[in-house]
Amino acid sequence: MRLLRRFTPRNDVINGSVSERNNIVIITAMQILDIKDNYNQIIKQTAELILDGGLVVFPSDTVYILAVDPTNEKGVKKLLEFKNRWTGKAISVAVLNKKMAEDFVTLNENSRGIYKNLLPGPFTIVSEGKHKVAPGIEAENGTLGIRIPDNKYIHDLVELVGRPITATSANLSGRTPNYSIQSFLRPLSKKKMEMIDLIVDAGKLPRNKPSTVIDATESEIKILRRGDLITGKTTNLISKSEKETEKIAEFLLSKSLSGQNPPTLRAPSLEKGGLKTKHKPLVFLLSGDLGCGKTVFSRKIGHLLGVKEKITSPTYMIYNEYLISPNPSLIRGEQNLEQNPPTLWAPSLEKGGLKMFLHMDLYKITSEKDLEEIKFLTLFSEDTVSCIEWPEQMGENFLDKLKEKTRVVSVNFEYVDEETREIRY
Amino acid sequence: MKILAIETSCDDTCAAVLDNDKILSNIISSQTDLHSKWGGVVPDIAKRAHTERIDAVIAEALLRSKFLISNFQFLKNKEEKVNKIIEEGMKEIDVIGVTLGPGLAIALGIGVNKAKELAIKYNKKLVAVNHIEGHIWANFLKNKNGKPERNLEFPALALTVSGGHTKIILISNNQFLNQNPSVLRTAPLDEREQYLGQNTSKSPSVMPLSPLSKGEAKTQSPPTPSLTRGGIEQKPIYTVVGETLDDAAGEALDKAAKMLGLGYPGGPIIERLAQTGDKNYLDLPHPLADKKILDYSFSGLKTSFYYKVKDWPKEKIYQNLNNLAATFQNSVFETLLRKYKLAIERYQPKTLLASGGVLANLEIRKRLRKLAKEVDLPIFMPTQKKLNTDNAAMIGRVAYNKALLEEYVGDVDSLDRDPRLSLS
Repeated sequence: MRLLRRFTPRNDVINGSVSERNNIVIITAMQILDIKDNYNQIIKQTAELILDGGLVVFPSDTVYILAVDPTNEKGVKKLLEFKNRWTGKAISVAVLNKKMAEDFVTLNENSRGIYKNLLPGPFTIVSEGKHKVAPGIEAENGTLGIRIPDNKYIHDLVELVGRPITATSANLSGRTPNYSIQSFLRPLSKKKMEMIDLIVDAGKLPRNKPSTVIDATESEIKILRRGDLITGKTTNLISKSEKETEKIAEFLLSKSLSGQNPPTLRAPSLEKGGLKTKHKPLVFLLSGDLGCGKTVFSRKIGHLLGVKEKITSPTYMIYNEYLISPNPSLIRGEQNLEQNPPTLWAPSLEKGGLKMFLHMDLYKITSEKDLEEIKFLTLFSEDTVSCIEWPEQMGENFLDKLKEKTRVVSVNFEYVDEETREIRY
Repeated sequence: MKILAIETSCDDTCAAVLDNDKILSNIISSQTDLHSKWGGVVPDIAKRAHTERIDAVIAEALLRSKFLISNFQFLKNKEEKVNKIIEEGMKEIDVIGVTLGPGLAIALGIGVNKAKELAIKYNKKLVAVNHIEGHIWANFLKNKNGKPERNLEFPALALTVSGGHTKIILISNNQFLNQNPSVLRTAPLDEREQYLGQNTSKSPSVMPLSPLSKGEAKTQSPPTPSLTRGGIEQKPIYTVVGETLDDAAGEALDKAAKMLGLGYPGGPIIERLAQTGDKNYLDLPHPLADKKILDYSFSGLKTSFYYKVKDWPKEKIYQNLNNLAATFQNSVFETLLRKYKLAIERYQPKTLLASGGVLANLEIRKRLRKLAKEVDLPIFMPTQKKLNTDNAAMIGRVAYNKALLEEYVGDVDSLDRDPRLSLS
C-alpha cells in the first residue's frame, strides 16, 4: 500500500482496488503521480524505477507509453507479459539522440537522412539491431524500431536514465492506444494492474496518432504504420488532405522553433540566460504550384502561434501582419502544462518572445526596387515568425540577404494527384 | 468645404480635391502621365514608390482643381514648382482626409505622414478614413455640376469586390439597430472557418446567422433616416455580414489569368475573352454553397480550375482561352451574386450598393442590375471607371461625412497608420 497524491477520486475507474479517505486515494501496489506536482522529483523517481526493472506508464508526444529499460531482462519480461505479446514483433525504444541510437542499431544512408530531417518527431525508424537489448525487444529478424520523441518529459527521462526506454503504446496487444490514464485503466484486470509499478499522469494528451513506423533497412523505405505524418523519401512528407497539411505545418513549426537538437533545460548555459543568445527570426519560404496548400499551411502556422483573426490571402497587400497573443497551449504536447515545467520546443514562446506573425506573398513583386520600397529586409525582427509565399519572386540577391538575417526553412509543395501533395523541406 | 484627400493604401499614389461631395480633381499615379510632366516617375518599374511621387501627385491634384490663380509656368525647377503649388493650394483647403488603413503598412505610412505634415504646417483639420468605407462612398461622389443625385436609405447592403477585398456590408444606424437587435448576431469566426475545406454537400450543424424573418422586417417603423442632399444626419454603422475566408474575388480572376498565361493584372483580359466564350465549358465547384453562410471562398475554385487545365497541351488551352475565361469568370460572379442575394433576403435592405475594382467589369454590372430588378430595389454603382479602383476622391467623400459630424483627428501628431483597420 502506498499513499498517493491528492487526487480527484478515481474509484469509477479502478474498481475495487481503490479506497478513498479525505480525498486521498490509495491503490494497491500501483502508484499514480501527477506530472505537474513535482516534476523533477517525479522524473527522478521514474528513472530509478525503470533502472530497477520497473514497468511505468508514461506520457509521450503521441499516446501514453509503457516504459521499461530494454536492457533489463526483468523489466522486459514484465512488459511482454503485460502486453500479451509473443516475442517476435519488435518493441520500439526511445533514445535521446542519434548518438544513443547508434549504440543500439546500425544506421544506413536512408536512416541517416531520416534522422537528420524528421527527428525528433512522431516517427519510429526501423533499422538493423546490434543485439544489445534483452530478448523480445528486437524483432525476430533482428531489427529494432527507434524513436526520438519531440517531447520534454521523455527527453528528460531518457537523459536521466542514461539509456533508452521502451516506447510501446500503453495498451494490450490489439487494443486502441490511450490518450488518458482513465481510458488506459478501464479494461485492465486486477492482475494486470498489479504489474504496473508507476503511472505518471499528464492528463488528457492531445489526440496525435501513434507514430508513423518507417522501415529504413532496405534501399526503398517502407511505411509499416501510418501515423499523422507520412514520408515519401527521406525529406518528404505526403499530405492527402488539408487536415494533413495542417499537421505537417504543426510538425515543422514545432521542429523549427526547437531546433534540430533541442538543448536540455537543465544545461547551465540556459539557466544563466543562455536563451538570450540571439535567435534569428524564423522564416518559412513556401514555394510550389497554385492550390498546393501554401495558404492552408500559413494559416495553420498563424493560428498555432495564437493569431485569433481571420488569416486571408496577402496577395493584394503583399503582406499582412498579425499580432499574436502568446498561446503556448497550441504548441503540440503543451495542452497539459499550463504552469510548469516550461517547454523544450518553444523557448521563445515561453518567454512571450514572439509578437508577430507575418504572412507575405511576393506574387505581385516584379523588381528588387519593389522590395526596397516595401523595406523588405527590415520586416523580419526577432519576435516575428513569417511565411512567405512565392519566394521565387525575390531573386537570388535578396534571398541571400534574407538567409543571412533569418533562419530560413524552405518548404516545397508539389502536386501528386488530385488529393495528394508532396511536401519537401 | 474644400477637401484634400490622400490615398496610398497599396499600389497607387492618389490625391484628390473635393468641394463638399463634388470632385474637382482626382489623380491616380498609374493612370496619369506624371512622368512627362514632373519627371522621375516611372510607374511600371517603381510601382510602389509612393515616396517619390506623393508630392507631385498632390500638386497635380491641387493644380487641376482649378482654384489656383497664380501662374507657375515661370518656375523651371520641378521641385520648386511642386512646393509652390502645394503652398498656394493649401491656403484654399479646409480639411485633409487620409486613408489610415487597411492596406500595406509601409505604403499607408507615406500617405499618413504626408497628411500629418500638411495638417500641422498649414494648420488644417485632419480626418482619418477607412479604405473600405471609401469604396462604399465612391457611390456618392458627384461631378463638378453636382451629378448624379443619389439618396441612401438605411439599411443598405454594400458589396465591395476588388483585388484585395470581397465583403458584404450592412450599413445602418443606431435607430435601425435598436429596432432590430437580432440583425447583428453573427457566428464566431472559427465556426465559420470550419466550413472551409469541407464537403459542401454536408449541411453544417451550427447555423452561423439567424435570418431576419419577413415578418420581423416589416415591423420596422418607417421613416428610416436617409442621406440627405450633400450631408448625413447620423453616423452610419457598418457590419460585415459576409467576406472572403481566403482569396479576394479580383485576386482569383487575376490568378486565373496568370494560369492561362495572360499576365497580371488579368481581370480586364478575362473579361474581354469571356465575351465570346462558353460559360459552361467546364464544370467547376460552387464554393461554400451552403445557404446559411454568407462568406466567400475562392481559393478552392482557383485550385480546381488550375488542375482541370494543368495537363492540357498548350494548343488546347489557346484554342479555348475564351471558353476557359468565360467559365471561370462565370463561376466567380455566380458565387458573388448568390451570396449577395442571400444577404438581401436576410437583411431586407432598402438600397443596394456595389463598388470596388471588379465593378469595372461590365458583365458583373449587368448581372447586379438584373438582380436589383428581381428584388425590386435601387442599386448604385460608381459612375466613372476611375471610381471603381483605388482613388482618393472616395476617401475625400468619407472625409466630408466625417467633417460634417466633426469627427476630426484630435491628436494629429500621434496618428499612426493602421494596416489592419477594421470597418466596424
